Amino acid sequence: MAQLRLDHQQYVNRNTEIIAIGPEKAEAFKKWWDEHKMPFTGVADPKHVIADTYGQQVKLVKLGRMPASLLIDKSGQIRYSHFGESMSDIPESKEILTLIDEINKEQRE
Amino acid sequence: MKAKKPYKVAPDFSLTDTEGRTIKLSEYKGKQNVLLVFNRGFQ
Repeated sequence: MAQLRLDHQQYVNRNTEIIAIGPEKAEAFKKWWDEHKMPFTGVADPKHVIADTYGQQVKLVKLGRMPASLLIDKSGQIRYSHFGESMSDIPESKEILTLIDEINKEQRE
Repeated sequence: MKAKKPYKVAPDFSLTDTEGRTIKLSEYKGKQNVLLVFNRGFQ
């Protein structure tokens, strides 16, 4: 999350909204979010509504304890997914930002 | 990993964010790309 906070503006510049989803209860989640002054959208999902939906409908690896990232393009299609194998296994922003550049370019064409 | 064509359509969802706003994925359609980040430890 610290890395995403640093890189946030680069996503904004690429017309990309970051939405972080955590399994904590809404109150605890909001407290953490406000304390860390996170500049993008944060959603508490203690009932795992989103993770369950994605696990079932997209048949992605079950979203659970480990971090996962999904890039959804403007047309609503999933263009990239990364499923961490440990809590610190998160993708490099550079990789995602490069892909966003490609997607934005193809959408302009 | 980069997804392969045909790309899967992201299921819609609607939940409330930390500011009390309703966040509905389909409202970004045609407007913005979205990076969804599932994580934990927000407490």
